[in-house]
Amino acid sequence: MKRRSYKFLGVAIAASLVIAACGSDGGSGSINKPSKGTSGGTVYILTQGEGITHLDPQRNYTGSDLAFAASTMHRTLTSYKYADGGEGSEITADLATDVGTASADAKTWSFTLRSNITFQDGTAITCADVAYGVSRTFAQDVITDGPTYAISYLDIPDGGYSGPVELNTATTPEEQALFDSAVSCDASNTITFRLKVPVADFNYAVTLLSFSPVPKASDTGEGYDSAPVSSGPYKIESYVPGDSLVLVRNENWNQASDPIRKAYPDSIVYQFALESAVIDERMIADAGNDQTAVSADGLLPENLGTIFDNPKFENRRQDGYDPYVSYTAFNVKQVSCLEVRQAVWLALDREALRTAAGGPYTGDFADGFIKPALALDYAPGKVVEGLNVDGTPNTEAAIAKMEEAKTACPAIYELATGDGLKFDHGDTPTWAKLVSIWIESLKAAGIVLKSNPIEPSAYYPTIMNPETQGSMSRSGWGPDWANASTVIPELFCDCGGFNLSQNSEDPAYAAFAEKVQMARAETDRKAQGKMWQELNQYVLDQVWAIPGSFTKAQDIWGSKLGNTYRWGPYGSFNFGDLYVNS
Amino acid sequence: MIAYLTRRILFAGVLLLAVSLFTFLIFTVLPTDPAALTCGKACTPDRIEANRTRLGYDQPVTTQYVRFLKGIVGGRTYGEGQGEFTCGAPSLGYSFSQKDCVTSLIARTLPVTASIAFGGFALWIIFGIGLGMVSALKRGRWPDRLISVVSVVGLSFPTFFLALLLLFIFVIWTQILPFPSYVSPTEDFFGWCQALILPWLTITIISAPYYIRLTRFGMLETMNEDYVRLGIAKGLKRWTVLRKYVLRSALIPIVTVAGLDFGVTLGGAVFTESVFSLPGMGRLSIKAVSDSDLPVLVGTTLVAGTFIVVFNLLTDIFYGFVDPRVRIHK
Amino acid sequence: MTDVLPIDGIDGDSVVVASIESKSPKRLSWDRFKRDRFAIAGLGVVAFFLIIAIFAPLITKILGISPNALDRNSLNDYGLPNGRFGGISGKHWLGVEPGTGRDILARLIYGARLSLFVGLVATLITTSVGMMLGLVAGYLRGRVDTFLSRLSDLVMTFPSLILTIALVRPGTQRLEAMGVPEGNPARLTYLMLVTLFFGWVGFFRIVRGQTLALREREFVEAARSSGAGPGHIIFRQIAPNLWGPIIALASMSLPGYVAYEAALSFLGVGIISPTASWGIMLQDSVHYYRADPTYFFIPGATLFVLVMAFYLLSEGLRDALDPKNDRQQVA
Repeated sequence: MKRRSYKFLGVAIAASLVIAACGSDGGSGSINKPSKGTSGGTVYILTQGEGITHLDPQRNYTGSDLAFAASTMHRTLTSYKYADGGEGSEITADLATDVGTASADAKTWSFTLRSNITFQDGTAITCADVAYGVSRTFAQDVITDGPTYAISYLDIPDGGYSGPVELNTATTPEEQALFDSAVSCDASNTITFRLKVPVADFNYAVTLLSFSPVPKASDTGEGYDSAPVSSGPYKIESYVPGDSLVLVRNENWNQASDPIRKAYPDSIVYQFALESAVIDERMIADAGNDQTAVSADGLLPENLGTIFDNPKFENRRQDGYDPYVSYTAFNVKQVSCLEVRQAVWLALDREALRTAAGGPYTGDFADGFIKPALALDYAPGKVVEGLNVDGTPNTEAAIAKMEEAKTACPAIYELATGDGLKFDHGDTPTWAKLVSIWIESLKAAGIVLKSNPIEPSAYYPTIMNPETQGSMSRSGWGPDWANASTVIPELFCDCGGFNLSQNSEDPAYAAFAEKVQMARAETDRKAQGKMWQELNQYVLDQVWAIPGSFTKAQDIWGSKLGNTYRWGPYGSFNFGDLYVNS
Repeated sequence: MIAYLTRRILFAGVLLLAVSLFTFLIFTVLPTDPAALTCGKACTPDRIEANRTRLGYDQPVTTQYVRFLKGIVGGRTYGEGQGEFTCGAPSLGYSFSQKDCVTSLIARTLPVTASIAFGGFALWIIFGIGLGMVSALKRGRWPDRLISVVSVVGLSFPTFFLALLLLFIFVIWTQILPFPSYVSPTEDFFGWCQALILPWLTITIISAPYYIRLTRFGMLETMNEDYVRLGIAKGLKRWTVLRKYVLRSALIPIVTVAGLDFGVTLGGAVFTESVFSLPGMGRLSIKAVSDSDLPVLVGTTLVAGTFIVVFNLLTDIFYGFVDPRVRIHK
Repeated sequence: MTDVLPIDGIDGDSVVVASIESKSPKRLSWDRFKRDRFAIAGLGVVAFFLIIAIFAPLITKILGISPNALDRNSLNDYGLPNGRFGGISGKHWLGVEPGTGRDILARLIYGARLSLFVGLVATLITTSVGMMLGLVAGYLRGRVDTFLSRLSDLVMTFPSLILTIALVRPGTQRLEAMGVPEGNPARLTYLMLVTLFFGWVGFFRIVRGQTLALREREFVEAARSSGAGPGHIIFRQIAPNLWGPIIALASMSLPGYVAYEAALSFLGVGIISPTASWGIMLQDSVHYYRADPTYFFIPGATLFVLVMAFYLLSEGLRDALDPKNDRQQVA
């Protein structure tokens, strides 16, 4: 799942889940603990975005959008608990009657559906609807940008199935049969998933909306993205990208069938295309409708002082870790010299970068790619020798490394000190500034960095294409659920979906990839965690990427809202659980 | 007169066609690969190719252009199968990043831009001509001097800086006004005025000085003409002379400029809209640039161009009416 | 905004007649200019900025400041400048940039370099191309004239600002693909080309109109009958008579281009950071309206002062070069 971050567009794409259990996260304490709310009123959500990236459940992969859609419109087999802190990362039954049953080898999972569940038109949600929803992910031509765990886990040969015939007319009955054997329904409305690898926590994976039901008859393909059918307590009244999305009560949602959603407000209005500065101004002013509004984008760094130094805002703000880790990936194919990569890390003024992005509010210096909240998988990482703990550059050590590089890999040394390394980042005002810190601090060690600003919309296509990627690219990632299996393979293995390191030709890669496969297959969760720790260290040793921060985020909300806790798994408000204080 | 009108309208038509062709060409030829820009995050070469076919970028430019024109006249369906979208006439294209027809995007943003343009236009004309008259009548005396100082100051403001300054003074610092947030005038007239007062002020301060000068210059010129002197000498009332002869002939060149200026503003008050974050056509264009949303850019350019042509035509027609010489001359 | 100039060069005749008849127009003009205090002040400010721009590296060296050097110590933990008024101090005379601690004075000085460079080059190319085409069209008339005039009608029809913004990325990429160095060189080349495309029209129209009038005049006739070729007539006989209005118009459009660079950079489609530009500074400063208003006022006021100085200068030039004033004085 990705992070929606307008402030740092290009910093962070990210999957997420987990977290919230961090010690310092509790600062918000009692003021926003989930509580019994009151019904009625309208909740407003303000954002800079032009719309929801994807309302199509199978295409939704952005943290706050998932939290929004899951809590209002799209029910899934299991769901995260509506709770603050660590409890929010636990799963509970939603459409299913329990959190699922696994076979002994964890390769077969089954979920039995409740009996009184319906879509917004009143028709019952059946096992076939869930199966159809899952099958949509395979139609990659139409269903883009979504998570692809269905494809990598279900026991269907690679490329054996290309989506339901409704979305891909080329699909043959034989192909469909392959899918139907991997995902099957029985008379008792039980859905069974057969997997090609053991996945001990598959019931966490099904919290992703890509495993939510879609009524086949209503599937309009591309069009479904702006008019999905609701199974939750709210349905779309109007959706105008660039303006607003209005949700009203879904009369066909049955409170008795839903143990988790409380559906307090009568309507929820998402307001788009607002200037980020305007959102902050409005939230600070707290006037009129804004008293029941939340900002979906967090706070701008320049306003943090105003909000956090003033006790007036005490009950309307929170500061805490989100699920993400920011990092800079090396294009190892271009920078195929460990010494140069180490020198860049040593020379980088991480302290200045952090200050420019808002100081302590940015987060902590990361010592790896797995956040401490993933307790089983996290171990303090050993960073390159000589790196200053306070984040200031160690220019001498960097110069020494460059001296080594001169003999170890003269060609790369030439590149780094001559033409320069090309640094990919989003073409945003914030980055225009941050990149100057990169350039200046590397210059002190004789390393030349060339800024390569890329328009936000083209950022990921550009850096994910080996032809167009620069020498280094900024990004961010967080786990999809509480397992580093959604981090390390995704980021550094060709078997994952987001490898920016181009490291497959690196001599050190083969051993790494082999160990990733072993870790994936490991069913003892503790032993697996140990393996992720080692793999994380392996990446640090090879400097395939430089970890940035274990990031934090800051929220503000209107004075008349309740249940404003941060929903750990998604690192955002639990939008559907907010209520209006009368 | 009819011949003159026909000629002007025909010429405007040709101009429009030329603008559409040129706009279309430049946006088709200039980008290194338009199809690659239509793709989201998970962009694969397959998807790029699929989009290429879907949007017809694989066709020769002429075919694309003909399809584009047909779309304007009769609507158009983009893509086929599940990814299919139909935009009714006049269809200017389909925006992939906004998942909407370009025409409806423009239709949504146009009222905002039009509100800015109409209000701003009214104010700058009133102030421009009014102060220009005062300046001319009090030539050389303190009102004239004061007005000329003010107009130099106004001229020297880059639009975006003036807008930022007004925003700072009225919204952030003194907090006299709330942050502008557009509402439809039919819904909340007062709110509409409140949201637009700063944009109007910006446009007025920037544009009025030109009109002050034009008016002042035109009036002084005419007042020196023999027939005016004669009129006054004959004992006609000063005000009558002013209204009947001086102002009238001074206003004619102003109308030309005003028509064109209004047409340009209607095409998107880019800076005003971005600073005050009003969702108008200018901001739509800026947004489309950062999204590399070519269809939207073609659409906004074309619509803005159309406004210019149309208002040029209107001023020409106006000219034809007030000044018979023009009909023969042009 | 179209700037239609209230000089009466549009229909040409009176200007030309006057300047030909007056005996030493240059001298008269200069005398008039000297008396205009505002124009002299404008000239002074412009000269000041020009000197700063030309000697930017030297000046920053003497002052011991650099546009790119970071100064972490001038910032607090949240990246805001220490001290009041945006961190104005003995070390940083105009304060520092929030977030990085870069010296604002140094960035302003280098920004002046860029603004003036863009303004001068843009004015130079639009003036020379517009003048050249105007002379050719006005002198040759016929098909060439029809073609160029229709072309200018067409160009006028384009929403120049929107088109400039819209084509920034594809245009720059195309130039880079053609071998122009990546980054700011390509951006600047693009901006200059677009400016030329839209900017020549104003000059063209005026020069054409005047050339049409001038070519019928006796001294041109005389030259022609004595066997002078078109080249001689255009450049020796007609062109020298056009300098007055051209200079007035050019000096009027220059501040526009200076502001234009800042405006485009402000929108994020102009200069690419970390190159210092006033527009980028203003774009960034908007975020600190509340926390550090000084950061907004300093580059804004600088831009305003420079543009105003140019306007005052150009007004002075226009009045001084306007031959009508000759007539008044002679009479």
